[in-house]
Amino acid sequence: MAAVRDNVFPTRMNLTTTKTRLKGAQTGHSLLKRKSEALTTRFRAIVRKIEDAKLKMGKVMQNASFSLAEVAYITGDISYQVRESAKHATFKVSAKQENVSGVLIPAFEPSLQTASQFELTGLGRGGQQIQKARAVYIKAVETLVELASLQTAFVILDEVIKLTNRRVNAIEYVIIPRIENTISYINSELDEQDREEFYRLKKIQGKKKDRAAAAQKLLDESAKQSINDGNLHAGIGAGDESSQTEVRDILAEQADDDIIF
Amino acid sequence: MNEIYFNIDAGYLEGIVRGYRDGLITAPQYMNLTQCETMDDLKLQLATTDYASFLQNEPSPLATSTLSARCTEALVAEFQYMQQNAAEPISKFLDYITYGYMIDNVILLITGTLHERDTHDLLEKCHPLGFFDTMPALCVATTVQDLYSTVLVDSPLAGYFRECLSAEDLNELNIEIIRNTLYKAYLEDFYSYCQSLGEPTGSVMAELLRFEADRRTVNITINSFGTELSKDDRAKLYPRLGNMYPEAQTKLARVDDMDQVKSILEQYSEYKIMLAGVSMNASSSSSGGNSSGDLSLEDRFFAKEVQLNKESFEQQFHFGVFYSWLRLKEQEIRNIVWIAECISQQQKDKVNNYTAIY
Amino acid sequence: MASATHKDRTLIAAIGDEDTITGLLLAGIGDIDIHQRPNFLVVDSKTTQEQIEERFTEYTARKDIAIILINQHVAEDIRGILDEYSAAFPTVLEIPSKDHPYDPSKDSVLKRVKLLFGD
Repeated sequence: MAAVRDNVFPTRMNLTTTKTRLKGAQTGHSLLKRKSEALTTRFRAIVRKIEDAKLKMGKVMQNASFSLAEVAYITGDISYQVRESAKHATFKVSAKQENVSGVLIPAFEPSLQTASQFELTGLGRGGQQIQKARAVYIKAVETLVELASLQTAFVILDEVIKLTNRRVNAIEYVIIPRIENTISYINSELDEQDREEFYRLKKIQGKKKDRAAAAQKLLDESAKQSINDGNLHAGIGAGDESSQTEVRDILAEQADDDIIF
Repeated sequence: MNEIYFNIDAGYLEGIVRGYRDGLITAPQYMNLTQCETMDDLKLQLATTDYASFLQNEPSPLATSTLSARCTEALVAEFQYMQQNAAEPISKFLDYITYGYMIDNVILLITGTLHERDTHDLLEKCHPLGFFDTMPALCVATTVQDLYSTVLVDSPLAGYFRECLSAEDLNELNIEIIRNTLYKAYLEDFYSYCQSLGEPTGSVMAELLRFEADRRTVNITINSFGTELSKDDRAKLYPRLGNMYPEAQTKLARVDDMDQVKSILEQYSEYKIMLAGVSMNASSSSSGGNSSGDLSLEDRFFAKEVQLNKESFEQQFHFGVFYSWLRLKEQEIRNIVWIAECISQQQKDKVNNYTAIY
Repeated sequence: MASATHKDRTLIAAIGDEDTITGLLLAGIGDIDIHQRPNFLVVDSKTTQEQIEERFTEYTARKDIAIILINQHVAEDIRGILDEYSAAFPTVLEIPSKDHPYDPSKDSVLKRVKLLFGD
């Protein structure tokens, strides 16, 4: 495995932090996954609703344009008049938000002002038809607004789901493997160090034993010699003895030097 | 005496108009039209009518708006032919008929001017019957003030404007009120003109115009329920003629709902029947889309209008036939367009809601 | 996300044929702002594609529009722009017109739906 890993020193400290990160990533992954699933459920419901609503819209709009045909039958062409009397929207939408798994989905709500600009249109003829057509169209626009909310939700959810899925996948296929690689790297490095350490300690212990044995031997020999010497120059005195001790001290120090690394 | 000399000036035209009347689509033809499945079928069926020459060059996916435009063209062509061949006093009478359309056109242009639109585009939207020579000049005016002082005074409608409206009114009043005020003045003027023509034109037209006035009165009353139009203003818009003038009108000016209208109209046998099944329908009109079975008030008015206009053909030696023919022809175009709409929008269950003529 | 700004979006804009616009205006969506810009465009035979595109882009850029309604047959003319448009605000909604019944297979959004569910 071409192991992609974080650039960290393989220390026990880092191992602990990396393990914590792995835990975090896994929790995050499962949370995001659950979020994505929740959103997808919602998304599918919306898609189904959109399809229904779009078909319903076809029907509603057909009815609406037919009611306009009824107006045309009675009153004649009113389009220009209607167009020119438009000044301020009486049919507006207000947006409210709905929270789906932390995603704010706006929903439009039709807000209708009662004052009508067209109440005198068709006064002499066809006013009732115009009001009727107006009512039908208001209904139609309400349907359209509903559909628009669904569609906005669709677009936003689509985006969020893509984002979430990207994150889920990133965590699953990039971040977690990387952390795992890092952990195994640290572990293997630490193992390696352990083994080296162990080997070295063994080696040193062996060396130490050898040295200790050699020193013992030397000591034994010199002891033997000193007994012999003592036998030879028994009367030389303390000064001679101290010089001998000094010699042995130096040796010991040298051995100490060897041990200390 | 009139009858003796009638044919000198009007004989030819009366012959023409009665000939046109025979061109109106008859019940079996309507049957065929309503059976059509597509717009192409409809076009084929219309090829046997007077509209054939106006439709034959239209490309095949025929839009209802095109259909309506072509049919209107056919109507206008016939009417203009009569206008060209008319001598006094018929020409004057025919001019009077066009004034109604002129009002609509002028209103359209005023609307455009008020909103500072390019009024040239609007000329196309004007009804061709309501064209008058100085109308393109209306487009020159950029403010309503100009419009009033320079152009409108030269138009045939000048009288109506002078009588009822000042330049300020054009700016301030709702355009619908202007329209109805003008129309009221026009109806009254037309009525008195018809009376000056003597019998039998006077009595035939009186019948038709009274009906028109009554229809407007009822409509204005019903349509002004729940609007900003005050009761006094409402009364001002009623034409001062008609079967209901003046006593029923004064009562109507004060009513607030459909039932009261109904109870007032009860006294008039011809309208009583019309409102019988209507009141419920009209008050629940906001619920929408329930017009499939029962007829609306407007439909009944149309039916009544058609009946009255048909009756005017029963008499001879009068000008009312021209007016009646135009009204019937208009109704016919409405019917055709209605059927076309039903076909193109697949609402065949409502296709029979037209008002048959013959 | 646009959550901060969408409270101000209250208008419904419309691009379509005469009948559609008339109906929608009758319902009361029509608005003309202080710069005399209407929120609706009537498309007829004289309207050029550039005009539609320009108006569509204008509406998508306006901050007070929540929904853009567009006739499907008009949408067909500017399909390229429409397919590229993916912002959540304003929402673009394709609606049928009188002479052109609704065809779900042409809808930009439904096309995305199909794409997502791969069928």
